[in-house]
Amino acid sequence: MIGKTRRKRTWFVAAVLATGSLLATALPANAETGVTSSEIKLGITLPLTGAASAGYNKIGNAMNAYFKYVNDNGGVYGRKINLIQKNDEYSPQLAIAKTNELILKDKVFALVGPLGTATYTAVHKSVGIARRGVPSLFLNTGFSGFANKKNFPTSFTVLPSYAMEAKIVSQFIKENLAGKKLGLVYQNDEFGIDALGAFKAAGVKFDVTIPYTSGTQSPATAQTWVSQLAAGGAQVVVFFGVTSATGALLGVAAAAKYAPQWILGSVGSDPLTLRVLGVPTAVLNGAYTLAGNPSPNDTTDEYVKQFQEINTKYNAGTAFDDYVLQGMNLGLMTVQALRAAGQNLTRKKLISAMETKGSTFASVAYSPLGYSKTSNVGHTGYYMAVMDATGDRKPFGGSVVLYTTDSGSGPVVKSTFKRPAMPAKGLPTNS
Amino acid sequence: MRNFKFKRSLTLVTVSSLLSLTVVSIPTVARAADPACQTANFVTQCAGTTSDSAPYLMLVPANFNGTVYLYSHGYRNNVPLPASLAAITGFPTTVVNAAEPVPGGSAAIYGPLLAKGYAVMGSGFSRQGWNADDAIKTNVELIGVFKKQFTKTKKVVAWGNSLGGFITQALAEKYPDLISAAAPMCMASDLPPLMTMAGDALWGIKTFFDPTIKGGSYSAGAAGYAEAMGDLGKVFTAIGAMQALIAADPSATKWPATSKVPDAIKAIPSRSALVLVALVSGIPMQSAHFDSTTAPPGGTPTEKLGGQLAIYPSLAALENLATAAALGVLATHDIEQQAGGAVFDNTATDYAARVSAEQFVWSSALSGATATGALLSVLAASPRAKADPAAVAKLKTLASHSGKVEIPTILFTGVADPITIAGNQQSVADKYAAYYAEKWAAAKKEGIRVRPQNNQLVLWNLTPEKYTKFTATGAPDTSGPAATGTNHCNFTTSQYLAIADLLAYAAENGKNMSGGALLTKLRKAKNMTYDRGYSAPKMKYYGE
Repeated sequence: MIGKTRRKRTWFVAAVLATGSLLATALPANAETGVTSSEIKLGITLPLTGAASAGYNKIGNAMNAYFKYVNDNGGVYGRKINLIQKNDEYSPQLAIAKTNELILKDKVFALVGPLGTATYTAVHKSVGIARRGVPSLFLNTGFSGFANKKNFPTSFTVLPSYAMEAKIVSQFIKENLAGKKLGLVYQNDEFGIDALGAFKAAGVKFDVTIPYTSGTQSPATAQTWVSQLAAGGAQVVVFFGVTSATGALLGVAAAAKYAPQWILGSVGSDPLTLRVLGVPTAVLNGAYTLAGNPSPNDTTDEYVKQFQEINTKYNAGTAFDDYVLQGMNLGLMTVQALRAAGQNLTRKKLISAMETKGSTFASVAYSPLGYSKTSNVGHTGYYMAVMDATGDRKPFGGSVVLYTTDSGSGPVVKSTFKRPAMPAKGLPTNS
Repeated sequence: MRNFKFKRSLTLVTVSSLLSLTVVSIPTVARAADPACQTANFVTQCAGTTSDSAPYLMLVPANFNGTVYLYSHGYRNNVPLPASLAAITGFPTTVVNAAEPVPGGSAAIYGPLLAKGYAVMGSGFSRQGWNADDAIKTNVELIGVFKKQFTKTKKVVAWGNSLGGFITQALAEKYPDLISAAAPMCMASDLPPLMTMAGDALWGIKTFFDPTIKGGSYSAGAAGYAEAMGDLGKVFTAIGAMQALIAADPSATKWPATSKVPDAIKAIPSRSALVLVALVSGIPMQSAHFDSTTAPPGGTPTEKLGGQLAIYPSLAALENLATAAALGVLATHDIEQQAGGAVFDNTATDYAARVSAEQFVWSSALSGATATGALLSVLAASPRAKADPAAVAKLKTLASHSGKVEIPTILFTGVADPITIAGNQQSVADKYAAYYAEKWAAAKKEGIRVRPQNNQLVLWNLTPEKYTKFTATGAPDTSGPAATGTNHCNFTTSQYLAIADLLAYAAENGKNMSGGALLTKLRKAKNMTYDRGYSAPKMKYYGE
């Protein structure tokens, strides 16, 4: 009896030791929320249904497709990424509820790519993202107010801000469209206000200025915009609004044969959304726009080529466009951030990794990343592009001329930044 | 504090009937500290008055286990209301001093407690209105009366709603030797922030919709009473007018006839002004029937989004303001009479700063940044209310919360309570967290390595994600019950009984329930959330 017991104990101890040594060579024990030895749970809130969902509803699936690709290739230090998408319908109150659900019920490790300014403002305050220490990476909004590390210590933007965008447009107007009568149509909230402040600071004066309230855009309201713009003789019209408003404005203008030089902000120039809204993309022909990424149709770009391949295999049936490109790229950046945080993954280490290594991450966008211990700002620049009747874009002047700036009073400069190469096979190996 | 509708007063009447059905009738008046008791159906019912003439009621089962629940009721009107205003506000026409031994006097609550061997008791208090200082003394005396009458008493646990929640928290802070555990529910805040909230809401309604509303600075005596009643009528007339305007055409920019804002402002939808009033005063943007998330049926996707983001939040603001306004007027009148002058002062208030974040979140409901700026400019330019320094000084001498408790306490509130906003509970939770940190730091200095006991359990009643309903014609349907987490002290019997169980556990064990047992208890009661990371937004008038 004694002997039997001893044998059992010896076996048990050996098994424990063996398991322990396996764990030691594979993955360390981890007590962080949302992280197990085999999985990292991430969450995203975005509009998957409703009027604001067109295009945006592809971002989460694109991220997931990229994560599946990474998971099939060993994951992140052996852990598979599990992205949970929640539909906030673009409603701040619903975004609060869904984010609470992600954090409390699903127990995600971090948020990645939460979309929308109003929604994220509400979430950050009501859910207490910073107080909980939840990393919130790559906010899908250009509101410059989030670039405040003191107020948003665990949040990191990814898009150039609307203020940067307006500063770059201002520079472009001065260099290429000086002397023309200018019109501005903008969404009358933090989105447009961000841009308005930057235009003012840059000394650009508009002859016609038309604010509109989000949700009021329609062909009927666009008719009044076009009447005001035409009456004011605007030869160049800058538009800072969402694509549904672009569709209304350009559609009505085309019917009225009012054809100024359009300059569309990065948010409102998506041809796919226009198609979904029933507006022919031909209205975009000749419009200038700002772009941070190469065209999703540019298969000569190593990022685009790799992402297209992943999309074909892991996101079958989904047309590859700017939203898919953006989603895949968010996935790529997320994986690099997770790797940079190390094998003993914690929320604090992820935030620290963003601060110390984030600026070196590979990304499809041409502009540098501004992450540091004192900055939570992601990409910092755009190039100007010309759109054709299909909605595709080519760099203005034939080649990419990248402008970089900040959201404050810093100058707009032509950048010589060289984008990091796409990791081999699209699989980061950084640490 | 009361709900806008009749529900609660009806409940009181019903409970009184139930008591008389199940227990033999007893004399309603007795000498101080000398209850009149009668026993029937294994329950001893004692009634009497404390030395301040406050009526009380005790129910003690034959198998009394030594623990008694002391309940403190919420705010009741301290002046009679004309029938017309009572019908609108939901407050009774008379001042009610009746004792309330459990929430709402509900048999569904005291029944299970008595069956388990617990006793229940509660006072009606000697005066209504804001009576915290008197009520605390009354409760202390009542505990003594009970212990004298029922010598088997070992533990007293306190609980209360709204103003009663405030009283309960104060009891826990000041009399840890008398009570073993406490549960302040839907707790009112200290008076300065409470009166700021009420004052801002009334001043906002006055400024935008009817400048003849006084909103405070009521005269003494009968004249002041008449002014307050006049204000009640005017406030509800303005709210009614807003309701009619929105119902007629939510996209229209029409304003109530009583509004005197400049014509340029009247180009902005009046519902946006309503939203701004709610935001500056800290009133939540989810109400009993409007979740501010559901898109209306029908229409194009853009129209639905417009309804979801722009129109329906204003209906939530309207419903909540209607619930809060009556109490705002009554409490302002009451507190001013007690303090001897005006207590609301917004001469230095920067309303734009107060909503600096909220205006982004509710941009569509506020009709955009330009409209928001214009509405804020109206607030900035309008004559401000000035308080009487002596009255304010007196207000500050009244009971307040330090947050420091040495006995287990359980906090519970709805996150969208429009009267005692969730930030009140958060404020007390934050005070305790700071106190706890101090204690822990002091202990470490003395070489102690064991953390002090955490005596505070903070629970939340969350709202469902979506609950707005529509009729077959597409109109909003407000006929159903208020959603969980909304309205004032809108708790279910299951939730009250769960709190009672948690109190019993805390009293028995000297600490709050935790771990799996706690989570199971909360899950069974439904819509009770424990989350250390949750934090309700506090308004800037809490010093943020």
